[in-house]
Amino acid sequence: MRRTFLKLFRRRTLHHDLETELAFHNDMAAANGNPIPLGNPSIIKENAFDLWRFNGIENIWRDLVYAVRSLSRSPGFVLSALLSLGLGIGVNTAMFSIAVEFLLSEPSVVDAGSWASVYLGDSNHAKPQVVQFLRDSGVFREVVGENWETSINWNDGRDTRPIFSVQTTKNYLTALGVPLAYGRGWTENDGGNAVVLHHRFWQQHFNADPSIVGCSINLDGRAYTVVGILPESHRTLIGYGLSPDVYLPHSLPDTLLEIYVRLKPGMSLDQGRTALRTLADRLDQAMPNPYVKYAAGIRVTPLAGFARLRQEQGASAIGLFFVVLLVLASLVFLIACVNVASLLLVRASNRKQEIAIRLSLGASRGRLLQQLLAESLLLSAFGAGIGFALAELVARLLASIELPVPVPIRLQIEPDWRVVAYAAVLGVAATLVCGLLPAWQSVKESLTSSAHRERRMRMRRGLVIAQIAVSVIVLATGSLFLRNLLLARSINPGFDVLHTLRADVHLPPVRYSDEAVQKVYVGQALRELAAIPGVEGAAAARTIPFTEESHDSTEFTFPRTGEKVHVRFHWNGVSPGFFRVMDIALVAGRDFNGEDRDGLRVVVVNRNFVERYLKDSDAIGTTFQWGDDKALYEIVGVAAGTKNMTIGEDDEPQLYQPLAQIQNGRPQIQFVLRSATPPQTQLAAVQNVLRRVEPGAGVEVSTMYSSIGLAFLPSQVGAGLMGGIGVLGLLLATIGLYGVTAYSVARRTREIGVRIAIGATRSNIMRLVLAESLRLLVVGSAVGLAIAFFVTKPLAMFFVPGLGAADPVSFGAVVLVLAATGFIATLGPVRRAIRVDPVTSLRYE
Amino acid sequence: MAKSATPALLQGTLDLLILHALQRGEMHGYAIAQCIHLLSDEALRVEEGSLYPALYRLELDGAIKARWGLSENNRKAKYYDITARGKKLMTQQQETWSRLSVAVDRVLAR
Repeated sequence: MRRTFLKLFRRRTLHHDLETELAFHNDMAAANGNPIPLGNPSIIKENAFDLWRFNGIENIWRDLVYAVRSLSRSPGFVLSALLSLGLGIGVNTAMFSIAVEFLLSEPSVVDAGSWASVYLGDSNHAKPQVVQFLRDSGVFREVVGENWETSINWNDGRDTRPIFSVQTTKNYLTALGVPLAYGRGWTENDGGNAVVLHHRFWQQHFNADPSIVGCSINLDGRAYTVVGILPESHRTLIGYGLSPDVYLPHSLPDTLLEIYVRLKPGMSLDQGRTALRTLADRLDQAMPNPYVKYAAGIRVTPLAGFARLRQEQGASAIGLFFVVLLVLASLVFLIACVNVASLLLVRASNRKQEIAIRLSLGASRGRLLQQLLAESLLLSAFGAGIGFALAELVARLLASIELPVPVPIRLQIEPDWRVVAYAAVLGVAATLVCGLLPAWQSVKESLTSSAHRERRMRMRRGLVIAQIAVSVIVLATGSLFLRNLLLARSINPGFDVLHTLRADVHLPPVRYSDEAVQKVYVGQALRELAAIPGVEGAAAARTIPFTEESHDSTEFTFPRTGEKVHVRFHWNGVSPGFFRVMDIALVAGRDFNGEDRDGLRVVVVNRNFVERYLKDSDAIGTTFQWGDDKALYEIVGVAAGTKNMTIGEDDEPQLYQPLAQIQNGRPQIQFVLRSATPPQTQLAAVQNVLRRVEPGAGVEVSTMYSSIGLAFLPSQVGAGLMGGIGVLGLLLATIGLYGVTAYSVARRTREIGVRIAIGATRSNIMRLVLAESLRLLVVGSAVGLAIAFFVTKPLAMFFVPGLGAADPVSFGAVVLVLAATGFIATLGPVRRAIRVDPVTSLRYE
Repeated sequence: MAKSATPALLQGTLDLLILHALQRGEMHGYAIAQCIHLLSDEALRVEEGSLYPALYRLELDGAIKARWGLSENNRKAKYYDITARGKKLMTQQQETWSRLSVAVDRVLAR
């Protein structure tokens, strides 16, 4: 112990000390007539030093210095190895982290595992009274309700705009135990005029000033006191990165709430389900609902983690997407590891001579291993470092991307350090093992036959084939998604998105609860909008395709045949002129007009509706009875129809009603305008007009093109992620292919030299080397394509119609790209091969 | 590697001699060599090649301690002094040496 410390602290000055001391000794000796003979000063120093040295460690240090020097002599090798490790570890795990955040993040509540989402009568939305009923029953530890599909008009003193609000029950914060960054939140005793701000909203609009707590803000014309700020890390119950702007402790009358319950300790989901069934029976008696029988369709599904994914509808597609993503990510990482391995092997083959010389000069096997270890250690340490840095960088970049969706989504992507560490350990291990292999081999090689060598070569070829096959799979998947994106862009949504604008208007609910007032407003707004210079037409609608959806599933009775038909369709209420403004073709009949008001109820359906429900009978003039009151409707027009929610979906039945003939339950209306000038030039004018007509309304004006961004989102995100991984895989595979080709050329230098010496031409040699890579490429691609064919099958659900999983164009592109990269990767080594000087090469080994 | 041709001292005895010399008080390397040289009536010659490694080893073991000081001719010199640990070590080595030399004498006397 004492020795170690002395060594540590003194060894720096030791050298100097000893020199001074010896010089002094010699001087003294000389002054005294040199009675004692001088020894060899170097040997004395060495002997004195030996004691003070950590031999092993010092050798390692020396090896590291040597390694730095030898690595800096081959920057190409170092760069490829570091790139492989860095990309493999960093980018890959960042992708993985998105998946984890998106799928498995837990909501910011106390003990997320004990919470469950409750379905009554096949719906997880119920009236506030039902929530209260569940709460009063005392069956569950806590019961809360929330509705996040709502907006509220926020007036910041200059402007009014709709913001995303979550309406909740009063016990929401306390029961869930939602942590707050500032303020105390509301309790059940507080009034309804309290609001909690989301961190992002607070940052964007209040400059992250904590003193806002206690002040009031104007929402829907009422003053609300800010009682808390959510922390940046807040995750909603819904998950998926949703970040609404404000939380309110009340809900508007008739708002349906999503029900969440916290199970009592020890209560299983099954027990919860049984208890809920009993409760629902009581509920059906206590508050009968004419439309829903609560006891039918009972579900209790977990709120967090894998369990939620298993239960949630639609989550399986997302889950599958991420499984594919993860598989791809791990394949890419595999490629990276194999890369580093083959690069190191290439290097080793090039320095076999050096190792042999050192061995023959008496270097011990251990000493050689140690030196190679130093090199690998250095590589893997830097590789891992780059990986960590990249992971952080990519995660930050991804988190900062604003998704073009109408709801605020912000994924809190942080690199999952466990995964990064795991990848780093694997990468480092791969490097170390592969780095040590050469030393091991060279030590053994002198003893083994060439047959052994041949077997190793075969193994390495196998490795390359596997690598190419894996790259093909990764690339094929990536290119499928890229092609999907390209196809999706070319698909027509069914209406004009380039020359149109859209205004989303949220009217103050109190004043506009009356239907008539709303209709007057719409009429006046349309008149004023149409008068804006450059506007060719204006229309109003309940929903705009791609931004919102209104689905109906009901029963029509056709009096002509007496037939009762169950129909499903996308519904919309539109004003006259909507089809013209949106450029939706009317294939038969007429548009709505001003007369379609109090008389016969009329509808326009789309072509798909006619094909599906009216068969061959003439659609125009067909009448049907619909609704509880068996009112009679007449089809007056057939429109070409539009896509509804996603660009890739199949055509579905649509039904339009005149806005004047429907009950508009909520004070919200959409305007669409057609502009002769580029639509973005009209944004301000439209905003001003709407502000003038109703100063209290929340108005959001955007070009149609920008507001339907959501439609492209799944394919964009998918293509981005998968394509990114595909490119990453290609990059790594190219590096790998290069490494292996270089290696095989290096191994055959002597052979090539002999061939040149006995008269082989350059093209002979080129053919020789190319044929070898080509063989590897062909076998690898064939294996990869065969696997990719099956692996990508389940992906078909993500793609636009017409794009099958085994898309020949995508797969062909993959093979082409791979062949091209293979060629490029071979080019360098080939050039080296044909430049081989026979004399040098014969001396080579 | 060539060692000095005639080892002036039996292996292991140098430490003992150094410690013994240092009992007279603090001294530098050259003085230690001189001291041993003179005390042995110029029979023993300690070479630097053995002296300094031995000194460094003893210092590392904690048998002696070193400090930088000024020599009689005003030059910077490293002075060594024996520690308590060193005294103990010396006693042990002295006993070992006595037994060894008696034993060797006995053998040679027959």
